[in-house]
Amino acid sequence: MSIPTPRFRISRYRRTAWVGSAIACALSLLGMFLCWRNPTIAAPLVPGLDFTGGTQIQLERACAPGACPALTVSEIQAQLGGLTLPQEGQERSPNLSSTGVQLLDGGKTLVLRLPALSTEQGRAVVDQISARVGPLLPEGTAINTIGPTLGSRLLRASLISLLVSFAAIAAYITFRYNGVFAFLALVCLAHDVLITCGVFAWLGLLRGVEVDSLFAVSLITVAGYSVTDTVVVYDRIREQSKALAQLPISEQVDVAVDATLTRSLYTSLTTLLPLFGLIFFGGSSLFWFAVALAIGIAVGSWSSIGLAPTLLPLFSARSAR
Amino acid sequence: MGRQQGWFAFILALAISAAVVLYTNGLRLGLDLRGGSQLTLQVLPAGAIQQVDREQLEAVKDVLDRRINGLGVAESTLQTVGNDQLVLQLPGEQDPSRAAKVLGTTALLEFRAQKPGTENQMQGLLTLKRQAEAILESTRPTPGSPAPPASPLKAADLAKAMAPLGIKVSPNASEADQLDQLLNEVNRRILSLYGPPLLTGRDLTSAGRQQQSSGDSWEVTLGFDRAGGEKFAGLTQSIAGTGRVLGIVLDGRSISEATVGPQFKAAGITGGSASISGNFTAEAARDLEVQLRGGSLPLPVKIVEVKTVGPSLGAENIRTSLLAGSAGLGLVGLFMVLVYRLPGLVSVLTLSLYALFNLAIYSALQVTLTLPGIAGFILSVGMAVDANVLIFERVKEELRSGNSLIRSIDTGFSLAFSSILDGHVTGLISCLALFFLGTGLVKGFAVTLFIGLALSLFTALTCTRTLLRLLMSYPGLRRPTNFLPARQLPSAL
Repeated sequence: MSIPTPRFRISRYRRTAWVGSAIACALSLLGMFLCWRNPTIAAPLVPGLDFTGGTQIQLERACAPGACPALTVSEIQAQLGGLTLPQEGQERSPNLSSTGVQLLDGGKTLVLRLPALSTEQGRAVVDQISARVGPLLPEGTAINTIGPTLGSRLLRASLISLLVSFAAIAAYITFRYNGVFAFLALVCLAHDVLITCGVFAWLGLLRGVEVDSLFAVSLITVAGYSVTDTVVVYDRIREQSKALAQLPISEQVDVAVDATLTRSLYTSLTTLLPLFGLIFFGGSSLFWFAVALAIGIAVGSWSSIGLAPTLLPLFSARSAR
Repeated sequence: MGRQQGWFAFILALAISAAVVLYTNGLRLGLDLRGGSQLTLQVLPAGAIQQVDREQLEAVKDVLDRRINGLGVAESTLQTVGNDQLVLQLPGEQDPSRAAKVLGTTALLEFRAQKPGTENQMQGLLTLKRQAEAILESTRPTPGSPAPPASPLKAADLAKAMAPLGIKVSPNASEADQLDQLLNEVNRRILSLYGPPLLTGRDLTSAGRQQQSSGDSWEVTLGFDRAGGEKFAGLTQSIAGTGRVLGIVLDGRSISEATVGPQFKAAGITGGSASISGNFTAEAARDLEVQLRGGSLPLPVKIVEVKTVGPSLGAENIRTSLLAGSAGLGLVGLFMVLVYRLPGLVSVLTLSLYALFNLAIYSALQVTLTLPGIAGFILSVGMAVDANVLIFERVKEELRSGNSLIRSIDTGFSLAFSSILDGHVTGLISCLALFFLGTGLVKGFAVTLFIGLALSLFTALTCTRTLLRLLMSYPGLRRPTNFLPARQLPSAL
């Protein structure tokens, strides 16, 4: 087999690739740090209802979007503050004056974020507020309540499943390849997950975007995808390592990246296409989920082309010595 | 050649049976797709039990199952989650607040006799209780009309009655809050005047309800087993004619206090039945009847999560997500045909088969499809496409380096195999972690992604290969230009 001459040599651009990734990681950390320091958030990402616990009520008004009678957020807040709720057992009913109110679709849809309410209290809020904002479409109403203990349990379960899947993937790659490959695959995976989180930290800071349990799902998916992508390049490097044994490792990497480049780009594109479908045409409930996946997959392709292979010579040289 | 045709027949048979399974079983849609309510109940440790285990959870589930059946809600499902949670799903437009009330209470029924020598205290407390309840009744807002104004006059009367008993309520609270505080305090004191529970809900064999002869309120009737009947007779005998009351206590609240006439002095009330006339509405009587029939919960439960999705919101979600998914997949199909030509067309065919097999497995395994589940499905389609891309890129490479068509196809498949396998296995590992450690939503995603990945290994390596080899038996199709542009082929060919 003759030695192929790669049309595209990734090692020529490796400094650019590293600097680009380093800047993106630094910005992500900065975003999460700013979120943490922000007194109203006080966490690296803005936690949603799933993690904080509470009640979220979504209402749909029976009017055409844009043609609904005007409402203001402070008006609704004032009205909620004056509500009396049925009491639940011995507990005092919560004060609703600091409710978060969101108006969507030109005032057609209302989203209320309240402290945790019982089902009866939730019903009572809907009944009493419908006098002011109604008429409502009964089939467009959604009331979600998540207890505070459930929220922290969910967070813990998500983190544990993320860490366990990382460890299991590392073990598998060490078994199929070797420790250096596994280490670099984890570096890339951390890079992809960090940047996805960073984008959402900035979105949280600037647009108030919250992360929910679906976001945790998307992070785990990004992790799995990132490894799959990286493994394809590594598989090629291993496969040709005998044939190209006389070449320095950085050139072996160039050949492998060049050979798998088309596949990496096509695969990212074909995975992104259904996600773009979900982003542009999908229901609102999956919008941010699809955005998180799309970002993670784009970053994942980047790291599998620009980071995982180019970092390999550094570590292989060291281990060879 | 015969081997390819055998495989082809096998795939065809699979496709037909998948279609049959899908047609007969249908798909189970989650509540977020068809609307409904979901309640999550947490079983709490109590008394000597520090940690709730599987067995106790099942015991709680048995009781709740009986209560749900008694309520008569259609198509509801109650499932255990982990070691200490239960999830109840009520599809359609059924009001979850009633179910929450009936399921959330322990329903521990106790019959307790008043201690001797406390007659005067009890008299005062009961008077106060009746007054407070009457006021509460008159101020309770009825649905559809605004709450009636507070009545300071009656509250002043109450204050007068409270003073000698030394009960105080915080003066700044609203009237409803004050009344609640008062009733709680009165209840606490009444309980302290009762003796130990000598008869409980465990001794019941039946419960029913009937309208009281006077007025339109309802009473709940009880039937005891033999031992219970004897205990009840003994209990009533002990207080007959004394003016002391028999208290019926439900979940730590005295709901009925009755005196027993002197005619029962000799043998107590025999016959093994009793009734509770606690001024019930028809619905409240029915709920109590259901709870008593189901038995009391061995451990208390707390409702930790309630989700309600309006059916149109669900329908809207599924419609838009399906539209989005098919639009995206249509584009992917177009891309494959444009880039890979004949094998691209084959992959569109096998990916359609892949989608059919996926849905059939959901249907056969009774997987409940939720929104995250659909997302998992779409993602697994992405991975299945990736497998095809990997194979076809390899086939193209082999063709470019001058190999024959059939040889290129075989080498392409075998060389692509190891990276496809590694990619899928790492994906499957993530799914396992998600499934066993994740909760609700995350589980739904993990299940569909797992099925999708496992199936993709099969379809990419079997269906695509078989169809491609079968097509290669037609000389008209056996041209390298059906695989890649002529200029990329080595000139020697």
